[in-house]
Amino acid sequence: MLMWGAGMTVLVSGTAIILGMPLGLMLCFGVTSSNPWVSRFSRIYQSVWRGTPILVQLLIIYYLLPLIGLNVAPILAAIIALTLNTVAFQAEIFRGGLLAIPPGQMEAARMVGIRKWAMRYHVVVPQIFRLVIPSLVNETISILKNSSLVSVIAVTELMRVSQQIVATTYRPFEIYITAAVIYILVNFLLSLIGRTAEKRLAGGT
Amino acid sequence: MTTKPLEPIIKIRDLTKTFGTVSALSGISLDVDPSEVVCIIGPSGSGKSTLLRCIGFLEEYTSGEVQIEGRLLGYRRTASGLVRESEKNIDAVRRNVGMVFQHFNLWPHMTVLDNVTLGPRLTKRIPTGRARGQGRHALAKVGLESFADRYPSQLSGGQQQRVGIARALAMEPHVILFDEPTSALDPQLVGEVLDTMKQLASDGITMVVVTHEMGFAAQVADRVVFMDHGQIVEKGPPVSLFNAPESPRLREFLDTWRSRNMLFQNDASVTGEGEEGGARS
Ligand SMILES: Nc1ncnc2c1ncn2[C@@H]1O[C@H](COP(=O)(O)OP(=O)(O)OP(=O)(O)O)[C@@H](O)[C@H]1O
Ligand SMILES: [Mg+2]
Repeated sequence: MLMWGAGMTVLVSGTAIILGMPLGLMLCFGVTSSNPWVSRFSRIYQSVWRGTPILVQLLIIYYLLPLIGLNVAPILAAIIALTLNTVAFQAEIFRGGLLAIPPGQMEAARMVGIRKWAMRYHVVVPQIFRLVIPSLVNETISILKNSSLVSVIAVTELMRVSQQIVATTYRPFEIYITAAVIYILVNFLLSLIGRTAEKRLAGGT
Repeated sequence: MTTKPLEPIIKIRDLTKTFGTVSALSGISLDVDPSEVVCIIGPSGSGKSTLLRCIGFLEEYTSGEVQIEGRLLGYRRTASGLVRESEKNIDAVRRNVGMVFQHFNLWPHMTVLDNVTLGPRLTKRIPTGRARGQGRHALAKVGLESFADRYPSQLSGGQQQRVGIARALAMEPHVILFDEPTSALDPQLVGEVLDTMKQLASDGITMVVVTHEMGFAAQVADRVVFMDHGQIVEKGPPVSLFNAPESPRLREFLDTWRSRNMLFQNDASVTGEGEEGGARS
């Protein structure tokens, strides 16, 4: 039971994180765009999603989607909410990485005729990733923990399952401790993956 | 190389550039002919880098014109004056201009060969195999063919700058702009980069070189341009510029340079090379 819930937790937050990467990069380019409209819109999106509690976002998405005719499963609503949230935070992480790349490298690309999107793909993004892996791991851990909130919309992830078990066994202490240990184990695993990725990517430099 | 070419590669007319209230260039006019080597010297802040960056359109200029092989760079002529050109057309005009930077600006996550071949692969749509062949050829030109699979961080500063030169060469540009290519190097690494550049000059490659290496300018340049306060104060063949400077500001600049270099007499000194001026085989 608990393991099934843990699997759900990893699925929901993992999907959100992975979907959030390309979207977060887009938003990062939007925020840093030289087009004033694009950057203004991107910044507004970012402050809205960074400035409101994730629980509120979750409930709004959950109750809003049916109103506009989209009857989606709670799990999908949860993934959408967490994705839209992590996009705003990942964009900020990516922006930090982008600013750490010397502008001269972009100028060198321009001087051999490389256009904006090709430059982003070949020169900018690979370097952003090697710079931000630690922050990305932190963001993943934070999403993983925040995903416990999706239990309120009846997604049977780790938190919800724990609550259900507690309701029948009346042993809150043992159950919640076990849940906590599972969260810690998953996060530990994540840090390990992050550190390995960092070492692998650092190969060249 | 005294035949009069048909058309200058670079043609600059009344170029000005201001940053806010700071005037970096105030009325520059200069032609660079095919196969010519033009060295730009001048005190810090005189606008040398800004001029080079305007020629590469890394910087939008404020007024005046820059033409590359007869085509206006960065702007389009319309009835109501000059209008900013699209990125695509800017790239088209600039495609024969290469640049070598003071701080190399290599891409650290790519191998040396990938640094050299990325531009040709993406912009000339040539197959990877052929691009790699051409890349190796460009690396051979700077004497670094055996370093193709290393990463930039595994190279010395001088080698990194030579990769920077190979990266520019691989695009087969008609002119290469150098912005103080040896200023970031330890003194013992300067020579290898200057030697590479001398080789390019004798291959007939058109070069515009901002430099503090007066010996190089004296030996390699066809013309030397002295800039101060955003203006060209004096230009001419190195012999006359170094041996008979006309303007007091240039005289002062050279005196300062000489007295500073007196301290380094044993250090592969370049004083005295001025007499050979302009000799190019
Ligand atoms: N991006 C910028 N913003 C504001 N001012 C600038 C900028 N770039 C250059 N300037 C100013 O323009 C003037 C010319 O600078 P430039 O870098 O072209 O000089 P330089 O001759 O290359 O000097 P150095 O020998 O130190 O490299 C200076 O006064 C400088 O402060
Ligand atoms: Mg400069």
